[in-house]
Amino acid sequence: MTPADAIALASTIALAMLGLALFFTVYRIVVGPTLADRVLALDLLTVLAMGFVGAMAIRTGITLYIDIAIALALLGFLATVAFARYILSRAALKDKG
Amino acid sequence: MRQIVLGVALVLLWAAITANFSTPNLALGALVALGALAFLRRSFSQPLHFRKLRALLGLSISFCVELMLSAIRVARVVLTPDLDRVLRPAIFAFPLGVKSDAEIATLANLITLTPGTLSVDVSDDRTMLYVHVLQHTTREAFIAELQNGFERQVREVFA
Amino acid sequence: MEDLAIYLGCLLLVAGAGFSLLAAVGVVRLPDLLTRMHAASKAGAVGGGLILLAVPLVALDASVALRAILGVLFLLLTTPVSAHLLARASLTAPDRGTPMIKINELEREKRISP
Repeated sequence: MTPADAIALASTIALAMLGLALFFTVYRIVVGPTLADRVLALDLLTVLAMGFVGAMAIRTGITLYIDIAIALALLGFLATVAFARYILSRAALKDKG
Repeated sequence: MRQIVLGVALVLLWAAITANFSTPNLALGALVALGALAFLRRSFSQPLHFRKLRALLGLSISFCVELMLSAIRVARVVLTPDLDRVLRPAIFAFPLGVKSDAEIATLANLITLTPGTLSVDVSDDRTMLYVHVLQHTTREAFIAELQNGFERQVREVFA
Repeated sequence: MEDLAIYLGCLLLVAGAGFSLLAAVGVVRLPDLLTRMHAASKAGAVGGGLILLAVPLVALDASVALRAILGVLFLLLTTPVSAHLLARASLTAPDRGTPMIKINELEREKRISP
């Protein structure tokens, strides 16, 4: 097996696994049952998307993709923090009235 | 002196990340490094010792090993057909021996990424760290394991 | 030598994708939020980190390697923080999610109809 074959095979397997993982995660986002569950699944979804971009970087050989992957990780972190703050502030509002 | 070393390291890191060692890019990196150092001026009050660096290295290595072990353990739990039999979730209160903000934050982050434990909350008076455990044994065994493991190492790094 | 790095990178890529898949399976299978969080934060971070580390092994480029290592460090720093925040939020503010919304709608319909 030449290196080019190995890259093609490994990236195909990885992309298939990540696609399946994305599907499972979307199931959890749809089913819930609580808001925190959905936020958790969304957080995992960004990490999975980051992995997907990384796998594409390996498959195509365009290493510029890795910057996009890192930016996605940053975005996912900020979104999760914002959602956690939202859950807390919503509960505080509910307590008040 | 330490700030100069750190500044040079930051400029080199900037040049390496942008893969461009030309003079204008180095000047831009120096500007960014100056800005970052101005921001972080107050965070570097303590001098850094060689002994601490070694403790930090030891902590990093044991952390990487524990991280891989924890991922494998979670994977094994997930793949068990009968989940109710292997899952014994519990939330334990861990009495904190370390006191400063930096130590507590480091310990909590380490706990989250190590096998079967997830830090959930810190009590308001900072004496207790609440930890969610995936497969609990006894409270005493859990506390002893943490105290002899990461807490001691964190204290060595920050002491 | 270069071929070896490429094969190693492929191995890391598949391992990372496997851990990511297991994290997603865990998020679907485990019974409650905190146990799901174990799967998402540990297996998810390891999976994403392994894939990021696989890129420079295949590309064999120093600047890419540096960026990938910084990305992995960033991931390992932020994942526990966001997991901790979310766990804290869900414990201090337990919400019943979907059933709650249904009850609200029923109440509004009752209020409007008479």
